[in-house]
Amino acid sequence: MNIFVLIKQVPDQGSKAGVNADGTIDRAKAKRMLNPFDRFALEAALSTKRRYGGIVTAITMGPPPAVEILYEAIAHGVDGAILLSDRRLAASDTLATAYALSQTVRWAGAFDLVFCGLQTTDGDTAQVGPQLAERLKVPQITYCESFEIIEGHIQASRVIEGGTQTVKSPLPAVVTVANSAERLAYKTLRGAQRVQQLQRDEEARKQVIRTVTLDDIEAVPDRCGLKGSPTIVAATEKVGEIGGSCIIYQGRSIEGLVQDALVAIPRELVQA
Amino acid sequence: MQPALRYDLLLVGASTSNLTLAHRLLDLAKASGQKLSIALLEKSPQFGAHIVSGAISDPHVIAKLFPDYLTNGFPIEAEVTNSHLSILGAKEKWDLPHGIVPIGLRKEGQCILTLSQVIRWMAERLQAKALEIPNVQLDVFLGFAAHSILFEGDRVVGVKASATGDDNEDNLYAEYTCFGDKGFLSRDLLDRFELRANPQLWSVGVKEVWQTDVDYQGVIWHTLGYPILDGTFSGGFVYGLANKRICVGLVISLDSKDPNLNPQQRLQHFKAHPWLQELLKNGKLVKYGAATIPEGGYYSLPTKFAVEGAMLLGDAIGVLDAASLSGVDKSMETGYVAAGLLHDAFAKQNFVGLAGAYQKAVMEGFVGQALHTSKDFRRAFLENDRLLGEYLPAVCRSADKGHPWLGSLSFGLSKPFQRVTESIHALSLILGKSGGGLPPASYTSCRENIVPDFAPAPVAVMAPAKPETIYSRSDAVFYAAPRYHEGNKHIEEFDPKVCQNCITTYERLGKTTPCIADCTAEVHRIDIGAGVRTHGMSLENCIQCRTCEIVCPQTNLRVNPTYEGSGPDFFGL
Ligand SMILES: Cc1cc2nc3c(=O)[nH]c(=O)nc-3n(C[C@H](O)[C@H](O)[C@H](O)COP(=O)(O)OP(=O)(O)OC[C@H]3O[C@@H](n4cnc5c(N)ncnc54)[C@H](O)[C@@H]3O)c2cc1C
Ligand SMILES: Cc1cc2nc3c(=O)[nH]c(=O)nc-3n(C[C@H](O)[C@H](O)[C@H](O)COP(=O)(O)OP(=O)(O)OC[C@H]3O[C@@H](n4cnc5c(N)ncnc54)[C@H](O)[C@@H]3O)c2cc1C
Ligand code: SF4
Ligand code: SF4
Repeated sequence: MNIFVLIKQVPDQGSKAGVNADGTIDRAKAKRMLNPFDRFALEAALSTKRRYGGIVTAITMGPPPAVEILYEAIAHGVDGAILLSDRRLAASDTLATAYALSQTVRWAGAFDLVFCGLQTTDGDTAQVGPQLAERLKVPQITYCESFEIIEGHIQASRVIEGGTQTVKSPLPAVVTVANSAERLAYKTLRGAQRVQQLQRDEEARKQVIRTVTLDDIEAVPDRCGLKGSPTIVAATEKVGEIGGSCIIYQGRSIEGLVQDALVAIPRELVQA
Repeated sequence: MQPALRYDLLLVGASTSNLTLAHRLLDLAKASGQKLSIALLEKSPQFGAHIVSGAISDPHVIAKLFPDYLTNGFPIEAEVTNSHLSILGAKEKWDLPHGIVPIGLRKEGQCILTLSQVIRWMAERLQAKALEIPNVQLDVFLGFAAHSILFEGDRVVGVKASATGDDNEDNLYAEYTCFGDKGFLSRDLLDRFELRANPQLWSVGVKEVWQTDVDYQGVIWHTLGYPILDGTFSGGFVYGLANKRICVGLVISLDSKDPNLNPQQRLQHFKAHPWLQELLKNGKLVKYGAATIPEGGYYSLPTKFAVEGAMLLGDAIGVLDAASLSGVDKSMETGYVAAGLLHDAFAKQNFVGLAGAYQKAVMEGFVGQALHTSKDFRRAFLENDRLLGEYLPAVCRSADKGHPWLGSLSFGLSKPFQRVTESIHALSLILGKSGGGLPPASYTSCRENIVPDFAPAPVAVMAPAKPETIYSRSDAVFYAAPRYHEGNKHIEEFDPKVCQNCITTYERLGKTTPCIADCTAEVHRIDIGAGVRTHGMSLENCIQCRTCEIVCPQTNLRVNPTYEGSGPDFFGL
């Protein structure tokens, strides 16, 4: 089976991202991590390989540092990786992202399954997976919690309000994986070894992690990036820092923390 | 099937000792062109994140390894400018006149290190160094612990380091394996080959780092006395670090009679001392951690430091010198010495005689000399429990009254002849001047020293001026930041019935079990269900010090290395 898994690098939830002058998010400043939802997609892809055999390729669209999550995926056992990176992709909305990713998948070749995460922790739209399926003209199964491959079909259990739904679809298909699915198994020794070999050996690296541009995947530049994104960000307003009005007391014992808090709370409130 | 994961050399633990070994070996391989593939296995997810130390260290090995260590970014908190040995009463502190401080505790000119930072620096630099040596391949496996040792017959051939269930993916094989793991796994080698002549005498060290508003960079105190005056071998330390940080710690020997030592709480008692209250009053706790220290020294050394296919280094052997609380330079030296011998063995493809040569080199060098000199250090206190049980408390009491000398005098005068001879004898043991002639000491293991109904004289703990500087054990755990994966079960309890009996025994005495009392992180507990009291564990709190395993009177616990990099985050300790 030929299996693709789409993963995205997002700002580390623990660190603060800034806002650019034009209202877009300044991602360069934030620490980065693999989108936590994509860990479930990664496990689904790797478990498909374990159970049914095949080759897993991780695909990401992002600036050059996004290669970090591809290494992470390799440490967990994916066979190959593709980084779609092109300045002309900057400020893509979900329409443009799904278009560019669909071109990347086409370029990468025939597939049986494409796994996506449910959503991301930065964009949070949950639109890319479904749009991708539409563009690739294949069936989609969203909120997939568990699945089996039976005679060229995928039979999946979807999370729905108040229960689960079992659906069956022919392959190829796009599957977005729920975050209640199997958690990602720990990285493997061989994966960790391979990452280091690739970091040392540029030739091998180029073969395993292919970096492509819009030209390589034959994407129309006007359908990508700001130009290809009908979503108009009219304005971005900083409405104050999250947690700005919340003082976190730490670094002291509970007794000390309570003392600090009592000093800070207006008298009237304490008495009431 | 993919080929097995195989290396020339496998280093278990990104430790003080193994990182020294690796640096030295790379330097030698660079010069000689010797081809080497090396795997470095570390159970913590970040270098140094599972390491707690003091640490004051003589930089002599660091200087051999990095002649430019003063200018190359090697992280040093400070050079010791003022080194004190102090007697603590419950209220006062008496700094001993410099002239009578044992040489081993005069630390002026030595380095104050935050060992976790040193480890990270050395590891990162090692990786960079390896990239520049084409004949060396170094693979680092961070967040992978060695779980069991692999043998072919009696030869060590590698370790199991993951749990996918597929041996080909879980086993790391090597021509030679070096254990710098503080005994975490290599204790199995000592047992299998019956290499223990004497049990190890373990201490537990609990430590906190504080951000304060006072600058004591370079000033250090080692303390004796308060808060432990029940005869237990122990001592406190306070080191002034860079950037107005201070570390405060207490080392308590686990061969105590007391089944309820409560190390973390004793550290709070220590901090309640007026002197420390003054230092910490405007401070904030940054980190908390604990680790065990092998203090048996010379007589606890294993009969062999290496077996076929593997050697032990650092604390895994037990080369720390308790008289000067110095393990860092000793551990480094074992690595330094091992590197040279391993380099030659790989060059000749001949490992015969390596074990003997290694042991000889360690024992004939400064490590062996220091261990030999202070071989009777612990014995002095074991033989004469009045030293810590009566003499020290007497001195502490008079320190509180403002005339510490009188305490020693009045204690000596009460039975002049006996006291003088025994003091001279003890002093000669402590200072390593007994001149031999004594038969080898024989130790009993820590757990065997426990006296369930031991009733120590209560120590008056001062009410802290700033109660908010004092932490409960469950609060302190947050500052060690343990994190565990789902399904973690790294501590084995062998027989629940044994625990039930143990719980009953201690409850009858109005105490709790040693595992519950002495845990540094609020892990062990008593569960009450259907009228039976059973032993339970909140493993997610564990900071992997191994104290519970050492003090369990029934040998009913085993602390295993964790999977998935789980455990505390000690970085900064
Ligand atoms: C109104 C609006 C305005 C926006 N404006 C901007 C902007 O100005 N600048 C800007 O940088 N971003 C902007 N974004 C964010 C950007 O559109 C999304 O980050 C991006 O389209 C992916 O969508 P998502 O993060 O919501 O992913 P989701 O649809 O939530 O992700 C679902 C899954 O799709 C896959 N996936 C998503 N993105 C990728 C990727 N890049 N590579 C591989 N797989 C992927 C993953 O498997 C993921 O789990 C905007 C979003 C919205 C809704
Ligand atoms: C509180 C305290 C204060 C101290 N103060 C001083 C001092 O002031 N001066 C001094 O010289 N010494 C001091 N020491 C002693 C000194 O820290 C040790 O002797 C020294 O660090 C031991 O080095 P090592 O190489 O044996 O192991 P360490 O440097 O401790 O490293 C062991 C490493 O092995 C890893 N590991 C363990 N098991 C496994 C496994 N199964 N798989 C993979 N990795 C594993 C651990 O995570 C750790 O990273 C102190 C110790 C303590 C606890
Ligand atoms: S683990 Fe050991 S100390 Fe704890 S209850 Fe059981 S027998 Fe007692
Ligand atoms: S459970 Fe044992 S190893 Fe873990 S913190 Fe407590 S005493 Fe240490």
